[in-house]
Amino acid sequence: MNRLIGMVVLIGAVVAGLIGLSAVFYLAAGGLAYVFAEYLGAPPSFGAAIANVVTLMLVVMMISGSLLTVAERKWSAMMQNRIGANRIKVLGSALGGIPFLAADALKMLTKESAPPRGRTRILYEMAPALAFAPVFALFAIIPLGPPVPLGSIIASAAGALGSAGVALQVASPDAGLLYIFAISSLAVYGTALAGWASNNKLALLGGVRASSQMISYEVSLGLSLVGTMLAFRTLRLEEMVVAQGAAVIGPVPALGILLQPVGFLIFFASAFAETKRAPFDLPEGESEIVGYFVEYSGMKFGLMFLAEFVEIVVLAAIITAVFLGGWHPLVVSTEWLRQTVTPLWFGAICGGAFLAKMIVLMWLQLTIRWLLPRFRFDQIQKLCWKILLPAAIANVFVTAGALLIDPSMQLLAWIGVATIVAVVAITAAVGRAPAPGEHGAAHVVAGH
Amino acid sequence: MPYPIENRPADLRERMYFPEIIRGIGVLTKHFLRNLFFARDKNPDILERRRGEFGVSDNATLQYPEERAPYPPGYRGLHRLVPREDGKPRCVACYMCATACPAQCIYIEAGEYPDDPIEKYPVKFVIDELRCVVCGFCVEACPKDAIRMDSGEHTPPSYERGAQIWDEKRLLRGPSVSYQYDPWLRRGSPSIPADKLEEMRARAKPFPTVATDEYAQTPGFSVRALAQEAKDRAERPK
Ligand code: SF4
Ligand code: SF4
Repeated sequence: MNRLIGMVVLIGAVVAGLIGLSAVFYLAAGGLAYVFAEYLGAPPSFGAAIANVVTLMLVVMMISGSLLTVAERKWSAMMQNRIGANRIKVLGSALGGIPFLAADALKMLTKESAPPRGRTRILYEMAPALAFAPVFALFAIIPLGPPVPLGSIIASAAGALGSAGVALQVASPDAGLLYIFAISSLAVYGTALAGWASNNKLALLGGVRASSQMISYEVSLGLSLVGTMLAFRTLRLEEMVVAQGAAVIGPVPALGILLQPVGFLIFFASAFAETKRAPFDLPEGESEIVGYFVEYSGMKFGLMFLAEFVEIVVLAAIITAVFLGGWHPLVVSTEWLRQTVTPLWFGAICGGAFLAKMIVLMWLQLTIRWLLPRFRFDQIQKLCWKILLPAAIANVFVTAGALLIDPSMQLLAWIGVATIVAVVAITAAVGRAPAPGEHGAAHVVAGH
Repeated sequence: MPYPIENRPADLRERMYFPEIIRGIGVLTKHFLRNLFFARDKNPDILERRRGEFGVSDNATLQYPEERAPYPPGYRGLHRLVPREDGKPRCVACYMCATACPAQCIYIEAGEYPDDPIEKYPVKFVIDELRCVVCGFCVEACPKDAIRMDSGEHTPPSYERGAQIWDEKRLLRGPSVSYQYDPWLRRGSPSIPADKLEEMRARAKPFPTVATDEYAQTPGFSVRALAQEAKDRAERPK
């Protein structure tokens, strides 16, 4: 029972911590925006963006990425009825395995780097950065929190300056989702070059596997989001998030997952394949087959390893923004919240909601990693070209048709609800159909 | 135990794949939540621990050095040379065990008690536990029930190989055993004082007929008691 109470308290503390963290981010963004606007004459969004680079991209992403290495141990242990890493103790307490983070970092940083002979020097050194940087850059357009007037954060900002919005978003290019496709497809260079430059046949094969898998899934990845672009009529993520707050069927908000359940599944599967984690971990296959970073050691390997976890964070963030209503808290109505609390706290609670959704999605990705065995390579290609791609194309046509008939998204929402109900019904149908020829099998045994 | 393997083709829902994945996520979530919110049963009696019920986690892990599962009955543990009641080894240095040992890891040097010229004893009795294949042939071969593997513990780890060479000083331990047929009890021995001899004779047991006889076991490690316990546990209504 103690653990039950402790866990409930801990979860509450985490939620409160996320809200507090978002409040701190808003203060940082507002503060820097004010300083830039007041003393340097730059637009407030400029200062806010600089603050957001530090808070969102360094704090949120790097910390959650590295905490995920611990979470992977502990959460997978819980799923498999084990205890998990708990042998490093600080003052007699294992602290949920978090001290392992320090041990890991120390190990990665102090390990010997053993570069192979005959490597292509420049590409070999560059590949980890090429694998890591695109993933890192993806986070730039994630709208973590709604715009909040600068005047409500910094009391002395008044007038036009005070009404300028400060959002927890580093950049909001018009291209929006296209930016995501463009940058995420760059990540394949890191893996392919790592395999090629390390002068190792097995690494080269791993790199080839990685590039063929990533390029294939790029196609269904792109098509799966076309439906949401059509439905929300925008490419910008922050506008998508705002659009998801509007009610569509009665009070139910127009969540992306409601309008596009098929698109969600396809995007999730394709993006999961892009992260190169189990069950799509053929490019590396830590346990059995040799992967593209076999010749990397020390922190170069660590960077590749971390890139994978950062990909999880980014994927969770994109899904939250596009399909799960972004920063809308969902448990309470956003409008009601906006009128009840001060703008700063409104932003903080919304930012906390976004982070909480992200955590749930990261957990879901780790769950799937421990749920499924690895696909065979032909199965991976078959899944992509024969199942996901046709489904994505069909989804685009159905979405476009539904929007043509009913531009208010209601028809689309009903189609989505019907799909979700169908999936749930099929899933909940217990028991299996009796296998054909069971009689015959029994006969053979008896007659023998 | 053989069991029939169901190897039937996947039905439609399984071929659709996604519903089965969602069900799988459900299963993992159940385990995850139960292990997240409930502590594991820390009952020191490891075989009695509850798991999989409401209020306890599903966790099956033992925190090994601190918590150890008891070895099963009949476990062949670290050797010991069984002492007589007067502290001397029962071993008569007959070399049967050394001859039977397939790993040839027993080294014996025989000697005679100065005051009892009939009886031999091992001046040196060394077992190289690193070479031992734990087959138990030495125990089977011994005519005097002088070497046993009933300590219920495995060979403790060490930092040097030398520490794995166990000599008679380290091997001679555990509870002593006397049988009525022991020659030193039947005819007496000048090396044993008369009153001690009487006491030993009184305590001597008949020769064990089966390996599970209680007195053929180290106290606290009774095969019979363990077997009975296991049986009780299986029969107890759930
Ligand atoms: S258990 Fe087998 S290998 Fe080990 S000492 Fe006895 S006879 Fe030799
Ligand atoms: S332990 Fe037994 S078999 Fe081995 S030398 Fe002694 S009496 Fe003989």
